[in-house]
Amino acid sequence: MAAVDYTKPEYYTNRELSWLEFNMRILGEARDKANPLFERLKFLSITASNLDEFFMIRVASLKDMVHARYTKPDIAGLKPEAQLELIQEKAHSLVQLQYSTYNRSLLPALKQEGLELVTAHEDLTKEQQEFVDRYFEENVYPVLTPMAMDSSRPFPLIRNKSLNIGALISKKGEKGKSEFATVQVPAVLPRFIELPASPEGHRSVILLEEMIERNIDKLFLNYDVVCAHPYRIMRNADLTIDEDEAADLLKEIQKQLKKRQWGEVIRLEIEEKMDEKLLKVLKKEFDVKSDDIYSISGPLDLTFLMKMYRLDGFDHLKTPPYKPQPVPALMEEPDIFAAIRKKDILLHHPYMTFDPVVDFVRRAAKDPQVLAIKQTLYRVSGHSPIVAALAQAAENGKQVSVLVELKARFDEENNIIWAKMLEKAGCHVIYGLVGLKTHSKITLVVRREEDGIRRYVHLGTGNYNDSTAKLYTDCGIMTCSEAIGEDATAVFNMLSGYSEPKSWNRLSLAPIWLRKKFLSLIRRETEHAREGRPARIIAKMNSLCDQEVIAALYEASAAGVKIQLIIRGICCLKVGIPKISENISVRSLVGTFLEHSRIFYFQNGGEEELYMGSADWMPRNLDKRVEILFPVEDADLKKEVKHILDIQLADTLKAHELKPGNTYEKIDKRGKTLLCAQEYFCEEAKKRAEVTADPALTRVFIPAEPVEDE
Amino acid sequence: MAVTLFAAIVIGSTETEMKIFELSPRRGMKEIDCVSTRINLGVDAYSKGQLAVEKVKELCQVLKEFKTVMEGYKVDAYRICATSALREIRSSLITKDYIEKQTGLSIEILSNSEQRFLDYKSIASESDSFEAIIQSGTAIVDIGGNSMQISVFDNDKLITTQNIRMGKVSTREKFLPLAKNNVHFEKIVMELMEHELNGFAKLYQKDRQIKNLIVVESDLQSLTKKGQENPGPISMISGEQFQKLYQQIVYLNPDEITDKFEISADTAMLVVPSALFCKCLLEKLGAENIWFSSMSMSDGICYDYAVANKFLRPSHNFEEDIIAASRNIAKRYKSNMAHIRNMEELTLQIFDKMRKVHGMNQRHRLLLQISVILHNCGKYISLTNVAECAYNIIMATEIIGLSHSEREVIANVVRFNTLEFCYYDELATFSSVSREDYLVIAKLTAILRVANALDRSHKQKFRDVNITLREDKLILVVDSQEDLALEKGTLAEKTEFFEEVFNVHPVVKQKKKM
Repeated sequence: MAAVDYTKPEYYTNRELSWLEFNMRILGEARDKANPLFERLKFLSITASNLDEFFMIRVASLKDMVHARYTKPDIAGLKPEAQLELIQEKAHSLVQLQYSTYNRSLLPALKQEGLELVTAHEDLTKEQQEFVDRYFEENVYPVLTPMAMDSSRPFPLIRNKSLNIGALISKKGEKGKSEFATVQVPAVLPRFIELPASPEGHRSVILLEEMIERNIDKLFLNYDVVCAHPYRIMRNADLTIDEDEAADLLKEIQKQLKKRQWGEVIRLEIEEKMDEKLLKVLKKEFDVKSDDIYSISGPLDLTFLMKMYRLDGFDHLKTPPYKPQPVPALMEEPDIFAAIRKKDILLHHPYMTFDPVVDFVRRAAKDPQVLAIKQTLYRVSGHSPIVAALAQAAENGKQVSVLVELKARFDEENNIIWAKMLEKAGCHVIYGLVGLKTHSKITLVVRREEDGIRRYVHLGTGNYNDSTAKLYTDCGIMTCSEAIGEDATAVFNMLSGYSEPKSWNRLSLAPIWLRKKFLSLIRRETEHAREGRPARIIAKMNSLCDQEVIAALYEASAAGVKIQLIIRGICCLKVGIPKISENISVRSLVGTFLEHSRIFYFQNGGEEELYMGSADWMPRNLDKRVEILFPVEDADLKKEVKHILDIQLADTLKAHELKPGNTYEKIDKRGKTLLCAQEYFCEEAKKRAEVTADPALTRVFIPAEPVEDE
Repeated sequence: MAVTLFAAIVIGSTETEMKIFELSPRRGMKEIDCVSTRINLGVDAYSKGQLAVEKVKELCQVLKEFKTVMEGYKVDAYRICATSALREIRSSLITKDYIEKQTGLSIEILSNSEQRFLDYKSIASESDSFEAIIQSGTAIVDIGGNSMQISVFDNDKLITTQNIRMGKVSTREKFLPLAKNNVHFEKIVMELMEHELNGFAKLYQKDRQIKNLIVVESDLQSLTKKGQENPGPISMISGEQFQKLYQQIVYLNPDEITDKFEISADTAMLVVPSALFCKCLLEKLGAENIWFSSMSMSDGICYDYAVANKFLRPSHNFEEDIIAASRNIAKRYKSNMAHIRNMEELTLQIFDKMRKVHGMNQRHRLLLQISVILHNCGKYISLTNVAECAYNIIMATEIIGLSHSEREVIANVVRFNTLEFCYYDELATFSSVSREDYLVIAKLTAILRVANALDRSHKQKFRDVNITLREDKLILVVDSQEDLALEKGTLAEKTEFFEEVFNVHPVVKQKKKM
């Protein structure tokens, strides 16, 4: 049989386009009338902030490639320039859809619910006008810095991502000769202000830029304001190259450093009806191509909707907040160490509370038998109770080692603050390994007990961040398995710069071992299928874009392995390619909580294996990060984790399915039970906590047994 | 009962390693943590005879970190041993002192024979497999940075142990620059190694069948373990399997090995010399199987501690190994074994009866026994100058398990057995014997002299002796029909020193059975 080439470009989707498709799915949630109105605002806001990040990181990176004349095609065979073209096309239509949703669907719906967003200051009532003008004079005017451009004053520096109002002004009495002026909409003030309610109780808000526009002539005395319109730019100002890019690109860019255009404007957003002359000035000064200009019919930067979501008085238009439930195993045995000794514990956030994880560290800090606590911290929340507990532990004389990953995107500064604080408290702070981001989530507590050293380990798929744990779905296990304990010790030794262990018991680590582990697990299924045994893979992750893994999946599918993928975001794999991917299905869940857990199931000829971990099937996770994949070994836990996958596969309400034409479609509900996986898990967690809390059902007196002594 | 935590640190020539062990009488020893870091001390030490300042500082830093880890575990005891790299530099003691002052830890610099003994104990700590293997002819090869040690066992007994001055670091450093390519490197090393082994085989192996080769070299082991399910700390592959593996790696460059076998780059550099040694040994000694041990010296250190503190009952008698090795040395120099046996019995009986007076321990008893075994080896070289010759032979022969100072004690005891005793002031002018060792030498010499006098004729007349210590008299009741005039006469000469040392007067009484 001739070997099939599974790496042909036509078998792959470009990751940027797949990402835009994902943002489209979120936008779909904003458009879905079945969602509460304010939730829809939130989804729309997310699409906006996502798109900003996408431009800053991915588009900027592609622009760099173009400047560096880097022409290596991606896995889908597209060169950087071609990718940019396709991205622009898709991004433009995404933005259009964002604003038609905003204007045609959300604004009218809000008005119906008694909240009006004043889109033009001209529409204000008299009382409102007075209020706005007073607010402007008292609060806004003092912080505005209008800047004009003329022969003696060059074009001012416009800050990345800031919202500005551009104007053309002309000296009073000198009609016809206009100059450019600009003023930044101050970021220190709230983006919108609630106006006094009308006598009937209707509430309304107005955007800050509208207020400024209304009063713009107060900024340019002695001038006539010809026109004034908001605009916003995004620069390629990120000094670091995105880690996803190839190392040879980095070299190329270093070689051509001069060619890299620092601070180049890569996107210009303008108000749709902007004056032609004004636009010409901007276009010239920012040196942007027409493709990079987004003319927008509505307020620029929709992220203010997230703040609007928090307006009081509209709780009936929001999904009621869910309270994470207590973990049954820990309700029966409040001593966390005793509970872990009894049995491994599975945590499923946010359905179950994150408290046990915080509690784990907190108790360890106080427990006299605890010798050491070691933990990796990637993104920590402000005022993190975990950080406080670690500092406390160090003060109590425990040996505390904390790996703080400074390279976490956007969080560098935040992380440095925690790191310094921990060091002051006496913790041993490790700043990660050179060239590798430490993305693994692991905590090790070493306890000296009667019968020897015992190690308690928490392994998770999500960061040790108690705030995001309420929004992200993540899994974790707590165990005192000796094999995993030994591995955990070795992980921290390795992270501290000591030699890697001779071998690992249970854990698989990136960057060295994990890729091979995944490939061998996939290939083992392929073998099972070839030999006629049932073979099945279920994998849940955030993104799939690693060529080697996808090729292995294609090969498995071709051999007859049934592959079900649950991928929230980017998926470069294509389904339904004859003889290549006919046995693969891909679904994406977008819901109230952000799907974040990574779970991998392999049927293995009946000897089922389940793994969880911190890594996606992306080159960066497998090659450039420290990641941990851990097996779920306890039989009950395995059942539980499999159940999580099964429910997600049964979701008919929030799931989108990838179709052969590379589009995602909602599930055809005909003849199927309506099920929303996230809601199901919420209810299930509540029920389980209730059953456990009922003492009549659980109270069993256990007779003590004599202590065994050999 | 609560457990004891013990830390063992080994400052090796390429790597500094710490292992933390948990010890309990019920469960024996269990490794709970292992941190190691590459510090290449060997390169400097072997070629320049001294360590660069940065290397010493780096070592201090690592030891300080290890100390923190030890404190973290609240270990109950620790032992730090340094091997050839620190031993072979000029300023060995100065460097040791510096490191000790910087880190607040105390360090032992081991002699080669002590070091090898610990390596050997590390294998023995995996007692189940070890006892089984050494039932048939076995060579344990311990490949170090600067040299390798070959110890031959047969029938559960140590036959000999020899040091060959070829190590994985030194060989690579010395010969890789000379070689044109990897094939040429193989040829050079093979040639040298064969030469060394020919000498070894002629002298020590003779017609002994060596079935097993145990290789103490964890890096190679990690290669052989690939593809094996749950390999234990000691894993076996057949000669053919090894040849196959050898072919796979010997012509590769380190980075290719790193890639192919997923081992660290530092390790990969040293795998090829080790593999070359193993191939040569396999062929020269004619072994069938090759066992790889991933146990390291730190396991041996902990095992030693565990046995000494009764956490473990040793399944193998290591003192017997030291004694067996000594007997082999005596045999090589054609000593009168019957005389030695008789003397051993006598001296040890005297030692035991005199315990209250001399206050020495089991270890000293062992030194006495070895002194007896070796007391006559000088005769092989010169009949008139026995004492000096014996002294020199002992000082030049490695005896596994004994430290340098212990060997010096034995050599001196043997020397003063017949030569006039040198008192401390005199002795200290031409040797480095410590006060404590000096006292041991004096006491052991006194005992040996008396016993030697009693078998002056080498006819073993004192076969059934009953010894009792009665106040200031040591009464030796001999059941013998023979004429003891000679013995009684020589004894009179030798008792003077015995009396001087112990203030006890030996008396011989003959009881003739009718």
